[in-house]
Amino acid sequence: MNTYASSNRFSSVIWLLLMVLTLTTFAIGEAGMAGSGAMLGLLLIALVKGQIVANYFMGLRHVAFGWRAVILAYFLLVGGLIALAYRWA
Amino acid sequence: MNTQVLVIDPAAGLAREARAPREEGLPGDFAIWIFILAEMLAFGVLFVAYAFTRAGDVELFNASQETLNRTAGAINTLVLITSSYFVMRAVTAIKHGLSKDCAWWLGAALMLGGVFVGIKAMEFHDKFAAGITLSTNSFYMFYLALTFFHFMHVLMGMIILAFVIAKAWRGGYSRQDHVGVETGASFWHMVDLLWIILFPLVYVIR
Amino acid sequence: MQYQSQAVAKPYFIAAIGLFVGQILFGLIMGLQYVIGDFLFPAIPFNVARMVHTNLLIVWLLFGFMGASYFLVPEETETELFSPKLAIITFWVFLVAGALTVLGYLLVPYSTLAEMTGNNILATMGREFLEQPLITKIGIVIVALSFLFNITMTLLKGRKTSISLVLTLGLLGLAVFFLFSFYNPVNLVKDKYYWWWVVHLWVEGVWELILGAILAFVLIKVTGVDREVIEKWLYVIITMTLITGIIGTGHHYYWIGAPEYWQWWGSIFSALEPIPFFMMTVFAFNMVSRRRREHPNKAAVLWALGTGVLAFLGAGVWGFLHTLAPVNYYTHGTQLTAAHGHLAFYGAYVAVVLTMISYAMPILRGRAANSEKAQNMEKLAFWLMSISMLVITLLLTGAGIVQIWLQRISPTPMGFMAVQDQVSIFYWLREGTGVVFLIGLVIYISSFFVKGGAKAAA
Repeated sequence: MNTYASSNRFSSVIWLLLMVLTLTTFAIGEAGMAGSGAMLGLLLIALVKGQIVANYFMGLRHVAFGWRAVILAYFLLVGGLIALAYRWA
Repeated sequence: MNTQVLVIDPAAGLAREARAPREEGLPGDFAIWIFILAEMLAFGVLFVAYAFTRAGDVELFNASQETLNRTAGAINTLVLITSSYFVMRAVTAIKHGLSKDCAWWLGAALMLGGVFVGIKAMEFHDKFAAGITLSTNSFYMFYLALTFFHFMHVLMGMIILAFVIAKAWRGGYSRQDHVGVETGASFWHMVDLLWIILFPLVYVIR
Repeated sequence: MQYQSQAVAKPYFIAAIGLFVGQILFGLIMGLQYVIGDFLFPAIPFNVARMVHTNLLIVWLLFGFMGASYFLVPEETETELFSPKLAIITFWVFLVAGALTVLGYLLVPYSTLAEMTGNNILATMGREFLEQPLITKIGIVIVALSFLFNITMTLLKGRKTSISLVLTLGLLGLAVFFLFSFYNPVNLVKDKYYWWWVVHLWVEGVWELILGAILAFVLIKVTGVDREVIEKWLYVIITMTLITGIIGTGHHYYWIGAPEYWQWWGSIFSALEPIPFFMMTVFAFNMVSRRRREHPNKAAVLWALGTGVLAFLGAGVWGFLHTLAPVNYYTHGTQLTAAHGHLAFYGAYVAVVLTMISYAMPILRGRAANSEKAQNMEKLAFWLMSISMLVITLLLTGAGIVQIWLQRISPTPMGFMAVQDQVSIFYWLREGTGVVFLIGLVIYISSFFVKGGAKAAA
């Protein structure tokens, strides 16, 4: 089954990408990086990972745009407020 | 994943797949999505509350964060993401009518859920052994509250997966009817999604 | 009526409405005592009127829940009740015990009542809502056990549906959490913990399961929407209820000596408590708009929709108003709490019991629905009672805000009693609105006695 193999290949690539992003987050922590740049970078990585999980793992990319927008808005709102709190500190 | 519509080709006598229209309904039961959104809201409020409380006492939060086991947290992130990947493979499998494959992938995801629980329990044990409680300070209050609340969701997700596995193994789902698998999968992905924010927020960002 | 044994629900419903009238009368007495302090003194002092008002509420709601269960369970399990005789015995025991307790409150000073009923053996009395003498409390447990036994045995021999399982779980929780009322530690903080485990885990936990199950049952009956759809909603709603409600207990732990982290847990989780109520509202309206039949009992549909809206307003919105710790710092135990209490109890529990009575009573009396005229009276009663309760809530909210300002925020804070004088206009208006509520209740009861023109027999 062609579609089966190709969709599995695709999801494996996505999985590898998420692994790399997680290790990046970990590396930033291990390097002891702090400050606005690191904070925004880490939030951005979380945003990208969240979008990947929602759109590809959860399969929202085939669903009406509204639902994807809700997840995106959630990450932007929560991430934005977190960033605001960190800047404000 | 596109819905696979079965088209019978009378000439060849073979089934082949045709592409369904691009837009589909939500994967899984609509009710689980209402639930997922409500859960995300609950965690969202906790995340933001953490960030603003931290703003009130940055030194305390930074110092306490240093005592966390970041490696354990990172491993758990990898574990959860991988389990999510397995769950996705299970959904793909059932969409191709492969009940047993579906059950195997879900079983693997469930096992990784167990690994997550084990590592997290070890972390909790270390903290409790060090005499840390909810009342120690604001950072630990949030750390314990957030991770414990998430921990409970992992356990609940594992129970859901176990039910889905049992039904999948008996051949209870099919190429056409697999809402149950998608429902369980969506919940599990949510557990992953929340950890994706929780890990950098509590373990890394300073 | 599909099953003969459902008939045992009838005396329960009648007793519930009777006690409801008593509750409202004592509410009016108390409402007047807010502005005329010595009204009916010394015959009925304020604290006694208050105790009777709140205890009658709880007892009549319990009668309503039991009646609802006896009506609902045979139909859901598709089998006759395990023992209709036991249900009737339980009814009389509960009614007599309840009446004796209220008479005890009214005729004997509370301390004498405590001495007479063995409070020195095991001290359980004196706590709000749990004022019942020890023997009454034991009686309640026995009644609850025999009731649960009856329901569970019926469930075991019949079809097991989600609705009957959720209902039974709720009733079981109701009985189990009541056991905390027997433990009354000397330490006041601990005492409050156990006290809230009864009061909070009832009204913001297990009672909501009962509410959800009853509402789901009536909605299936009046809308004809697939059971599968309705049960799915029920599951999501009760899961959210339990998650938010159980941890939300923390919103009672502010400033009473409990650890500080409860301010976070209580604030966050109870801020989410409106969600299941909102889902319930959406659920009710959604099911009614997707209805696949026009049920002749329009009044029951109105009550069901009313439950959704009023429960969300009273329990959800008015609860949220003062649930966040920084807000509650000022509002703790003011008239704002009373406002929330009134609309929450009315909107969630009174309304759901009346929904069930509205649906079941005509059937118990041998018809699918009451006559047009009777239904119109019932609907009028719904609007009168619901709107006047909403107005009472708004008035108490007004009184609460003035009270908070004068007593706690103002740079020159006033004493409690001085502030009570300042808000007396709100209390007068509240009393007047209370009379309108009573009129609504009288019309409601009269609607049962309208003759003629009954719709097709069930």
